[in-house]
Amino acid sequence: MSTNRAVGDILVGFERQITQARVDAYAEASGDHNPIHLDESYAATTQFGTRIAHGMLSLALVTEMLATEFPETWHDGGKLKVRFSAPVFPGETVATYGEITSIDESDEGLLATCTIGCKKPDGTDAVAGRATVPLE
Amino acid sequence: MAAPLISTAVVGHEFGPYDVTIPASRAEAYATAVGGDESPDYGESLAPIMVVAAALTELIEDLGLFSGGLQTVHAGQEVSWVRPVNIGEKVDAIGKLAANSVRRGNHFATVSVSYKDSSGSEIGTSSTTIIVSGEAS
Repeated sequence: MSTNRAVGDILVGFERQITQARVDAYAEASGDHNPIHLDESYAATTQFGTRIAHGMLSLALVTEMLATEFPETWHDGGKLKVRFSAPVFPGETVATYGEITSIDESDEGLLATCTIGCKKPDGTDAVAGRATVPLE
Repeated sequence: MAAPLISTAVVGHEFGPYDVTIPASRAEAYATAVGGDESPDYGESLAPIMVVAAALTELIEDLGLFSGGLQTVHAGQEVSWVRPVNIGEKVDAIGKLAANSVRRGNHFATVSVSYKDSSGSEIGTSSTTIIVSGEAS
């Protein structure tokens, strides 16, 4: 249960390979058909030299972790703030992570603050930031 | 060709409202893109980040960032949500340009968005920071 949480608790992350098929599906879901995500010949002319996944796809994986860890409260008062630090290229496997760094009383009850993110295969962050989640 | 809005919009410029109602077909595409064996069962509700992504696409289009020659980097994102949203539930997004500056030829822009349900109640907010480089063509 969320109310049994403690500072230092590690959120259960997971790995996901970001295939081009996932990127294509995300374009359909979001409506973002920017060719930098979909068109290899166009993407070759950009600063990245190849297609990149939507940053919001990596963030979506992080929110999946939060929804799994806090199923009763993440969608009911949760907040996050992240930076997109590096692009994810199709074919890479990324790993979500998180840790509760503080638990504080508020007018809305107990709130857990967590470091959150999504790492690339080389260990660098694709997405990193903080989330605040009600615990009750 | 007219300059993209990112070049001319001033702080306070409003965007939308955009209808960001998510139909079942797009929710299924989201599950295909994001999901895995350990994914939570959302039932009839959506991951709110999907609504934010739908609004972001509209904003990028209105800002003229799909113009050839411009390269946009999504630098930062904030999201807060107060209740779950259901598949097919009417949601409107209204954006406001919160910052827009030029440094070394790159635009740094932040757009804040409010999400409202059919009763007009705010159900979430977001703030997106982007960096735009290049020349529109």
